[in-house]
Amino acid sequence: MLKVENLSAGYGDIIAVRDLSFSLERGQVLAFLGANGAGKSSTLMCLMGLVEQKSGTIKMDGRDITATKVEARISSGLAIVPEGRRIFPDLSVHENLIVGGHVVSAKIMTDGIDYVYTVYPRLAERRNQAAGSLSGGEQQMLAMGRALISQPQLLIVDELSLGLMPKVVDECYAVLQTLKQNNIGVLLVEQNTERALSVADKIRVLEAGNLTWSGSATDAKNNNSLRQSLMGIS
Amino acid sequence: MLYLELLFQGIVQGSIYALIALGLTLVYGLLRILHVAHAALFTLGGYIGVIVTNQTGSLALAILAAMIVVGLVGVAMYKLAYEPLLSKPPFIALIASIALFIAAEELFRIIFGPYGLSYENPPLQGGFEIISGFFLKYGEALVIILSILILSVLGWVSGYTRLGVSWRATVTDPDMARAFGVNTQHVRYLNFFIGSALAAVAGVLVALLNNLVEPTMGSVPSYKALAIIVLGGLGSIRGTLLASMILGVIESFGTIYIGHLLDRDALAFGFLIVVLMFRPQGLLGTR
Repeated sequence: MLKVENLSAGYGDIIAVRDLSFSLERGQVLAFLGANGAGKSSTLMCLMGLVEQKSGTIKMDGRDITATKVEARISSGLAIVPEGRRIFPDLSVHENLIVGGHVVSAKIMTDGIDYVYTVYPRLAERRNQAAGSLSGGEQQMLAMGRALISQPQLLIVDELSLGLMPKVVDECYAVLQTLKQNNIGVLLVEQNTERALSVADKIRVLEAGNLTWSGSATDAKNNNSLRQSLMGIS
Repeated sequence: MLYLELLFQGIVQGSIYALIALGLTLVYGLLRILHVAHAALFTLGGYIGVIVTNQTGSLALAILAAMIVVGLVGVAMYKLAYEPLLSKPPFIALIASIALFIAAEELFRIIFGPYGLSYENPPLQGGFEIISGFFLKYGEALVIILSILILSVLGWVSGYTRLGVSWRATVTDPDMARAFGVNTQHVRYLNFFIGSALAAVAGVLVALLNNLVEPTMGSVPSYKALAIIVLGGLGSIRGTLLASMILGVIESFGTIYIGHLLDRDALAFGFLIVVLMFRPQGLLGTR
């Protein structure tokens, strides 16, 4: 579904990620692991069209979306759950979800919101509450829900477990499993290596903007030296 | 009866302040720029109002024309003066804005002459009796009705439409709004268009109440509107509306009761100083 070739991205003169290639099929989870500043988030933001792409191609279902705007990327099936959740604190829960459906038709948006309220009944209870007054876990649910409104084929998730209680992280990962079962692809950046390995099919390790290890999650689990080095940096 | 009259005078003045200051708040909320030149758009609105009314005899048409033309001039101002400066520290845009304002006042002087213009057949003369012994001028009634109408429509759009929600999302976190496909550039254009159009309405209405437009009619509103958005809490729309009304009413009562000590504008700034001593974040500000 997603095919990225020789991607380089960065900010001005600074290159954050170099010559990265990977692909992802529907229903698969690919996790990027690595230290802070390794270029994981920049890669995700670049896929969304929010960080400048220096070279390489991005294809979604065979269609080249390299030079397209954010709107077109959302229409082609991408959506993002950003690092730090970045919900709109002044807007109500319901309004946050409306922004999530900005580019889709009113019908898809309404269906999407109904779906999110079924998956996260707590958001439905708090629909008119200011999003900034939610707990950290609820905010993460809202960030996930907001990204699901446009009915994405590929969900881009940046730091899912950061700053959340273990119980809430369990809930978030349960949702990722559901998405997998519903044949949605997930690109995951995660500091918590064990969590990432529990859900991922493929692992890519980045160091200082370069790809240093790639393989299946099973291989990664069995590779003790890799696990140790990732634990050390996480 | 005097109290009621003063209260209505205050509401009329407060409505005018609200129409002017809202545009300033909209710009500050989105771009963190103190848009001093906004008051020049208010003056331009007044000129267009008088000229179109004198040509066509229709005040409604004049208001509409002023809103559209001034709205577009506001967008052009953003595009030409502010957009190239967005990456610079905010005081640079502020200096540019002050320069624009001074240049605009001189332009009005050159184009329309130094002595000002008046309506040839001033529309909406006279008034009506609300309750016995209490009269309201038609012009004043129009100010109140138009303000309520415009603010209700704006409130409805920003609260209950997808466009309004996306616009508020952009104000809160432009980068994230962009991540969901909101065209933040269009939001900025819309912001300047609406803010400038509101100032234009205020300009036409003030020209109507005073039956005069002159090149410097924006001077006092320029700094008073700044005081109002600071008083309300920078970037807070509700705060701006509240501060406009309070200031309007305080000025109206103050000129009668302590006008011999302090003039109208000194009164307004005295009130600002007192409020900021106790609430530095403004009436409804959060920081």
